[in-house]
Amino acid sequence: MQTPRYRIGIDVGGTFTDFVLADLTGARLSFYKEPSVPPDPSLAVERGLAALVAQQGIDPATIELIVHGTTIGLNAIIQRRGARIALVVSKGNRDVLEIARLRMPSSYDFTEPREQPLVERDLVFEVSARMRADGSIDTPLDAGEVDDLIGKIAEAKVDAVAIMLLNSYRSAALEIELAERLRAGLPALLVSESAVIWPEVREYERCLVGALNGYIQPLKSSYFDKLASRVAGLGIAAPIYITANNGGTLSLDTARARPINTILSGPAAGVVASLAVGKAAGTGQLITFDMGGTSADISVCRAGRLEFTTTTHVGDFPLIMPVVNVSAIGAGGGSILWLDKQGLLKVGPVSAGADPGPVCYGRGGTVPTVTDCYVALGIVDPTRFLGGRMTLDRDAALGALAKIAEPLGLSGPDAAVGAAEAGIRVASAKMATEITKLLAEAGVDPRQFSLVAYGGAGPTHANYLAEDAGLTSVLVPMAPGTFCALGAVLADIRRDYVRTARLMVSRDGGEGWAEVQRHLAELAEEARAWIANEGDLVGEHGFVVSFNIRYPGQAYEIEIVLDEETRRTLDPQKLLDLFHAEHERLYGFAEPDSAVQTSTIRLAVIGKVAAVALPDAPLRKAQSTGIRKVRHKGQWLDAQVYERATIGPDEVVAGPAVIDQPDTTILVLPNWTARADRLGTLRLTRN
Amino acid sequence: MKLDPVLVEILMHKLTAITEEMAITLQRSARTTYVKEAGDFGTALATPEGRFFAYPAVMGVSGFLDSNVGPTMAHFTDLVPGDVVITNHPYLSDGLATHMPDLHLIRPIFYGEKIVAYAWDFIHSADIGGGVPSSISPKFTDLFQEGLQIPPTKIVKAGVLNTEFLNLYRSNCRTPDVNLGDIRAMIAALAVGDRRIQELMETHGAQTFIDVQHDLVNYAGTKALAVQKKIPNGVYEFWDLLDDDFNSPVPVRVRVRLEATDGHIHLDFTGSDPQVEAAYNIPTGGKRHPWLTLKLMHFIYSHDKTVPLNYGMFEHVTVTAPLGTVVNPEPPAAVGVRSATAIRLNEALVGAMAMAKPGLMPAPSGGIMIPSVLVEQDPASGQRRVMVLQSLVGGTGAREGADGVDGRDSSLANQRNTPIEKTEEEAAALIADYALRVDSGGAGRWRGGTGVVFTVRIARDGSAVLGRGMERFVFRPWGMAGGMPGERARVVVNLGRPDERELGKLDMFLARAGDIVTIMTPGGGGYGDPLDRPPAEVLADVRYGYVSREGARRDYGVVLTGMAVDEAATSALRDEMRAGRPPIAAFNFGPEREAWEAVFDDATMSRLNAALMRIPTATRYERRKRLFMDVIPGLKRGAADLAAVVGDISEARQRLAGAIGRLEVEIGPSAV
Repeated sequence: MQTPRYRIGIDVGGTFTDFVLADLTGARLSFYKEPSVPPDPSLAVERGLAALVAQQGIDPATIELIVHGTTIGLNAIIQRRGARIALVVSKGNRDVLEIARLRMPSSYDFTEPREQPLVERDLVFEVSARMRADGSIDTPLDAGEVDDLIGKIAEAKVDAVAIMLLNSYRSAALEIELAERLRAGLPALLVSESAVIWPEVREYERCLVGALNGYIQPLKSSYFDKLASRVAGLGIAAPIYITANNGGTLSLDTARARPINTILSGPAAGVVASLAVGKAAGTGQLITFDMGGTSADISVCRAGRLEFTTTTHVGDFPLIMPVVNVSAIGAGGGSILWLDKQGLLKVGPVSAGADPGPVCYGRGGTVPTVTDCYVALGIVDPTRFLGGRMTLDRDAALGALAKIAEPLGLSGPDAAVGAAEAGIRVASAKMATEITKLLAEAGVDPRQFSLVAYGGAGPTHANYLAEDAGLTSVLVPMAPGTFCALGAVLADIRRDYVRTARLMVSRDGGEGWAEVQRHLAELAEEARAWIANEGDLVGEHGFVVSFNIRYPGQAYEIEIVLDEETRRTLDPQKLLDLFHAEHERLYGFAEPDSAVQTSTIRLAVIGKVAAVALPDAPLRKAQSTGIRKVRHKGQWLDAQVYERATIGPDEVVAGPAVIDQPDTTILVLPNWTARADRLGTLRLTRN
Repeated sequence: MKLDPVLVEILMHKLTAITEEMAITLQRSARTTYVKEAGDFGTALATPEGRFFAYPAVMGVSGFLDSNVGPTMAHFTDLVPGDVVITNHPYLSDGLATHMPDLHLIRPIFYGEKIVAYAWDFIHSADIGGGVPSSISPKFTDLFQEGLQIPPTKIVKAGVLNTEFLNLYRSNCRTPDVNLGDIRAMIAALAVGDRRIQELMETHGAQTFIDVQHDLVNYAGTKALAVQKKIPNGVYEFWDLLDDDFNSPVPVRVRVRLEATDGHIHLDFTGSDPQVEAAYNIPTGGKRHPWLTLKLMHFIYSHDKTVPLNYGMFEHVTVTAPLGTVVNPEPPAAVGVRSATAIRLNEALVGAMAMAKPGLMPAPSGGIMIPSVLVEQDPASGQRRVMVLQSLVGGTGAREGADGVDGRDSSLANQRNTPIEKTEEEAAALIADYALRVDSGGAGRWRGGTGVVFTVRIARDGSAVLGRGMERFVFRPWGMAGGMPGERARVVVNLGRPDERELGKLDMFLARAGDIVTIMTPGGGGYGDPLDRPPAEVLADVRYGYVSREGARRDYGVVLTGMAVDEAATSALRDEMRAGRPPIAAFNFGPEREAWEAVFDDATMSRLNAALMRIPTATRYERRKRLFMDVIPGLKRGAADLAAVVGDISEARQRLAGAIGRLEVEIGPSAV
C-alpha cells in the first residue's frame, strides 16, 4: 500500500472557516466547516485542523501541504484597521494620495465624501530624489536629507513606510537605495518600494500598491507567525502556502514580503475550482457565480483560462496588479427588499447581514430579505436549512413580505408570496444586467457560457439568473459551500511581473521589438530566480506572456496573451495579427496596416504543483423523497424533492425540482433538467 | 404608472445598463485623451421627442442629462434604419452641442417603420480646426474662428458610411486619424444601443418599451418635485460675476431670479449681461438646458439618491433666457469657453437657493476648470506637439456639517486628472509640483476645500503653456452664513526668483527653457463663522498643512503654542475679533466685489442691460465696453486690486449715472 499523502485547503470567511482535505493516494475529498473566530482567525484554523485530522484519523505527518486563503488584509483595508504608515515621495508629489485621480465617487451627490487617504498628510514626506521619464536620474538621493527623514520617521512612530519616487517605474534603483538607507537607519521598520512590488506607470496607482502593502504588512506578518506556530503545534510539518489574487499560491516567505498579492485571494480560489469542475464537465466557457449572505460575485472565464483585470478596486482604492477578474454584482441572501416613496420595489444595497439576518432566522430581523423570499416561495424547507441544524420561521418571512405586498398592488391569500416573487425578479434582473455588461466588455455571446453556482445562495438563485441573462446551462459542484477552500488545494504557484515600455512594433519588428525581447528576457530571468526558491513542491515551471497594446494614440489598450507558439518564437507579425483580430472582434474594426504600440509587458511564471484529481461520485439512483410546493410565475408547482447525495453520475432530475444538501438548496425550474456528471456536478440545461 | 411597478424597476436597470454598455464600447476604443483619461464623453437613450430617458450612472460626463436631440433630428424627414446623424453646431442643434469640439452622434431606433427612441453619444474631440490647436480660445469673437461647423448631417446613411462627408471633415481638423477613430467608436456604441433595444423589445414588446419611457420620466419627476418642495415658496434673486470676457476687462454678470411655487421652479435669467465678443456665451436655444439647471440636478440627486437619471427630473422646472444675452446668444457668437460662464451661473443658482433656505446647498467651489495644455517644439524636426498638462480645478465649497473637499471639484464635470508620469512620458518639461494650496480654502465653521498649486518646469525654448477657463482672479468664491471667501487664482512665472512675474489670466504663455510656470487654483467658500470652528479642528488643519499657523490666527482666531492650542489666548483673541467686526451677513463676497457693486449695483445694472439690449447686436458689445471704460478708466483685465482701480465710489457712480443717461438719450425712449 502507498503511504497516504494529504493536502489541506483552508478558506477563512466571516462566518465559517472552510476546510477541504484532499487524499492524494485515495482520490477522495473531505469537507469541514468550523465557526470562524474573527478576533483571532488562526484559532479557527487550529481548531478546524485538529478536528479534521481527528475526524479522518490521519497522521499529521502525512500532510504534505497546507494552502490557506484569508481576507484579513482586505478587511483591514475596508475597515481601515491597518498599520500606521508613512509615505516618502519625490518633491512636489506629497498630495498624490490627497488629490488621487481627482474624480469624486459621485458626480451628482455633493454629500458623498471622497475616500479617506491611506496615509495621513503629516506622515507624507518629500525628498528631492526623482527620476525622469527616460529612466535617467534628475536629482539623486541627498544623504543629509535622508538622515533628516530617518529622524522624522523615527519620531512619527510608524509601523511601516512606503516609497514612491516619480518615474521609478523605469527603474527601481532610486527607491531601493532609499529603502536600504531607511532600513539601515531603522532596522525594525518594514519598507515597501512601489516600483519593486509593481513597476507600472501612473504614480497614484503605483503609490497605492506600495502603501497598501505597507498598510497590511505588520498585521499579516503577525497573523502568519501565529498561524505557522499553531499549525506546527498540531504536529503538522507541511509547508504553508498562501492563495494569491492571481489564482495561484505563494510561499509564506513571499506572502510576508508582498501581502498585497494575497488580499483578493478568496474569490480567486473559487474561480480556480470552477475551472477544474468545468473542465471535468467538458467546458471552459464559464461565468462563476458566488452568492453568499451579503453579496454576489461573478467572473467570466473563456477557453478554460482565468481572466485577469488590472482595474479592480480594493475598498476605496484602485489596484493595478493583475487579479482574477471577479466583480460584485449586487444582492446576497441577506439583501433587503424595500419600497421607495413612489412604490418601486428595490433590493439592496443594504443587507441584514448575519445578524440579525433574514426575518426567517428568528433573530430579530423585521425587514424581508432575499433569503426570506426563497423560504416564502417554498424553495427552502424551513426544517432542513443547513442540514436541519437551524429551523426557519416561514410565517415570519411571509408576515414581513405581506407588508410590501399591498403597496405593490398584490392582494389575496398569496399576496406575500407574490411580493417574494417580485423581489426575486428584481434581484435577478439587476444581476443579469451586470452579467450582460461584463460579457459585453469581453465581447462574448452569453449562450455559449455555463454559470457555475456556489456559495450558500448561489445554487438556489442560479436558475433564475440563468433565465434572465439568457444563459442555457448551469453547473452546481458537489460542495458549493466550501468551494473556495477546494480552489486553494487545486492552485499552482504563480507570480506576475511587469514592465512599462512604450515601444512601437511593426510587422518586421524593428527596434521596438528588440527592446521588447530584452525586457522579456530580463523578466524571465527574474522569475526563474524567484521560483527556484519557492519550495520543493514546485515541479516544472512555465511562462505566460501578455502585452497591453494599442494603435498609436488610441484611448485604451487591449491585452493580448501570447499563445505558446508565439511566446516561443516571438514573431512580431504573429503578435500584430493577434492584436488586429482581437480589435476587430471587440470593436468591429481593425487597421491592419497600422503599427502598434506596447505599453505594458507582463510575464507570469507558473510553478506546477502535482495535480489533485477530483474524485468520481459514487453510483447512486436518484430517488424523489416527496413533493414541495414551489411558487413560480404566479402558480404553485409540485416540485420533486431530492437529496443531493443520492444523485449519482448520469442521473437525471427534471424540473420543477428542489435538491437539498447540507450547505445549500438547488432549484431546478420548469423546462430545465439537471444531470449529474462523473464527479457528481449537476448540469442544469434548458429543455 | 402605465406598467407594473416591478417591471418598471426591472426595465430601469436594463435601460441604464444599455447606456453603460454603450459607454464601455465608446470609451474603450476611442482615441482622444479627453475620452481616455478625463472621461469627457457621454451616452444616453432619448425618447422619440428627443429627451433622455436613460443615462449612465457612473460613466462619462454627468452634466448633459437634460439635453435635447429633438431639434437636431427635426432637420430630417427621411430617416431610415441604420442612419446616424452628426452635429457639433451650437445654434442649429439648439444647444445640444455647446461648443464645437463636442461631436454629437444620434441614431434613430426603429420598430418597424416607427422611430421609438434615439441612441445618442458625444465626445470632446481633440481638434475641430479653427484658430488654435484643440480649437478653443477665449479670444475668439465668432463661431467661424472656432473651427468646422457641422450642421446636422447624415454621417451614416442606412448603414453606409458617408465618405464624402468624412473627407471634408478630415481635411478640417488637425488630428484627422485620431478623430476618425473616435467617430468609429461612437458609431459602434450607437449600434450596440440599437441592438440591445431591439432585443429588449423582443423580450418585453415594443409597447412596453414605449410605455416605460413615460413611466420612468414621470417617476423621476415625482421624486424631483418632492425634493424641490424643500425650497420655500418665494422669489429669490442672485447674481455672480465673471472677472472679464478676456477681450475686454469688463466683468460679465449672470443673474438668476428663482421663483418657487409648491416645488415648481421657474428660473429667469433676465438681467444677465448681453452676449460678449469672446468665447464665453452659452448656447441654450433659450430653453431649459443642462448648463442652466446643473446645480438643481445636484440638489435633487443629493437629497434623493434613488431618483432615476432622466429628463423627468427637470419636468417641474421652467426657464426664461432672453435672446442676445450670454445665456442665449445669437449666432454667430463664439461659445468655446461656455463652461466658465456656466459655472458662474450655476453658482448664482446656488446663491438663490441658499437665500431661500440656508443650508440647502454648499458654498461655491473654486469654480474653475482649466484643461492646461503644453505645446513643445521638437528641436530636431521642428514639429509641434500638443499635450494635456493637467485638468486643474479648485476645492469644493463647505456646507452645513462638512468641510469642502481639497483639490477636487465634481461640481461641473467629474473628470479624472492626468498622471504626472503620463505627462512626462510625452513632454520634455517636468512637473515640479502638484499639491494642495495652503490657506486657500475659505475659512469657516466648515472650511472650504483648498485649491491646488501646479508647477511646470519648461525644458525647451519656444514652448507654450495654454490654459483656458481661467477665472476667479478678481472675484472670489464667496463664503456663506459667515464663512469667508476662498483664495483667488494666480498664475506666476518663476515664483520666488528675481525674475518672478505675475501672469494673471493667460490664454497662451510663450516660455523659455528654464522658466517655471505656476498655476494656483482657487479654494472653495467657507460656511459658517470661522470663530465657531473648534480649535482642535483648526489645529488638525495646521498639523495636516491645510492651514498655516498665521492663517489659524488671522482667520480663525486660534493661537498655537508649538503643536498645541493656547486656550486662553485663543478665547481672548476670538472675543476681540468678534467685538471688532460687522454683523455676519448671509454672504461674504470679498472686497473686490463689494467695491464693484457699490458702483454697479443690481438695480443700475438691470437698467443698463435693459437699455443695452435695445442697441443692435452688432454694435452693442463695443458700446457696452466703452461705457464701462468711461466709468472706470483704469479698468484692466484680472485686476486683483479692483477696489483701488474703482477708486472713489461716489465719483464713479456719478460717472455711471452720466453714462447711462447719455446712452438712454442716444437710443431714444423705450417703446413701452
